[in-house]
Amino acid sequence: MSKMKHFIEQSWVLVVSAFVFGLLIAVTNAALSERIIQNEQDKLYNLMRGLIMNSNDFQVVIEAAQIPGSKGKVNQTDIYRAIDSSNRSVGFAFVAVGAGFADKIKLVIAVDDGCEKFFGFKVLSSNETPGFGSRIKEDEFGEQFREVPTGALEVVKTGDAEKIDSQIIAISGATVSSEAVVSIFNTYVEEIRRQLQKKGLIGNGK
Amino acid sequence: MANETSNSSAIGQTFIAGLWRENPVFRLLLGMCPTLAVTAAVKPALTMGLCVIFVLLCSNIVVSLMRNLLKPHLRILMFTLAISTFVTIADLFLKAFQPRMSETLGPYVPLIIVNCIIICRAEACASKNGLFISIIDAIGMGIGFTVTLCVLAGIRELLSTGAIFEIQILPLGETGGWFVPWAAMSMPVGAFITLGLLLGLVNIISRKKT
Repeated sequence: MSKMKHFIEQSWVLVVSAFVFGLLIAVTNAALSERIIQNEQDKLYNLMRGLIMNSNDFQVVIEAAQIPGSKGKVNQTDIYRAIDSSNRSVGFAFVAVGAGFADKIKLVIAVDDGCEKFFGFKVLSSNETPGFGSRIKEDEFGEQFREVPTGALEVVKTGDAEKIDSQIIAISGATVSSEAVVSIFNTYVEEIRRQLQKKGLIGNGK
Repeated sequence: MANETSNSSAIGQTFIAGLWRENPVFRLLLGMCPTLAVTAAVKPALTMGLCVIFVLLCSNIVVSLMRNLLKPHLRILMFTLAISTFVTIADLFLKAFQPRMSETLGPYVPLIIVNCIIICRAEACASKNGLFISIIDAIGMGIGFTVTLCVLAGIRELLSTGAIFEIQILPLGETGGWFVPWAAMSMPVGAFITLGLLLGLVNIISRKKT
């Protein structure tokens, strides 16, 4: 009994405070969570709109698609279908994640309606070296992916950046970040196409 | 009358201490993690400073009000509990109302929990003083930290982009001007060099004063 009394005497302030502070966080979270989720969705939709011309709205067509990654890891991503103002499908987009130089790189990748060519990508989040790896966000690098036929891409150190082909010219001083972006594309695209075909959302022509 | 004068002098001294004599960055060398990590530009530095002021103020208020109830061996646990609560709240507000800034600051907002300035002020001031002095101390220290971060960030942003607060000040070479951005200043090496030079400068000024 005396042990119990001692325990309560020693810890009641801490227990009560933990409860009050926990309640404070719960109330704040409840009040703001809707807005936080909305912000995240707005950002994703804005990036997808920037990639897919004429897109008016987006629908999730495959929820939590399983993408096998490196070292036996499996990533999950939602696949969105972009529709224009007359409700026609104009492309697909999805979030893809992979290891970068400093941290994970999260991209939004868009493909055309038949999953035959890339519309390009935008960086959703990354923590690459400022001035070097951070240049994966620049249009000069991103434009190399536009209109390229979907399939395995490769990184090269020199070449013609204007040429539309599967060779992506690495950013000078940021080869690892450039390779990381290309690796993310290669990891996701084939599997995304397979799953879209399986669902009957695109043809089996390829 | 004499008592009143000494009181207001003590309040003034407490406030000014954080700005110069006990400046958390230049004199106490506390909070080095955000000082080096978020000072590549003025906007994130200012936001970090404001978050620290909020957390410092709230934790000092709570610790000061509870100081007589705290058991000595449980006090650090109590400080951490209060600090982590207010940091989480600040982080949620940033995510809700400044999502882009929240992304820019990344993990450094949650890391305020382990910022030594806050736990240091809770231990050195709030747990030993009344509410009013604790508030003044939090504001003084918070402003001192924020101003320091902004000075550091101002120098780095100017040298790495030619802009301050994203307003172009130096004409860039690529647009026909003369300024060539110094990319290293936006990287960690720039933070270490700038901080080292400013610490040296502050030491020289302090020596001259004494």
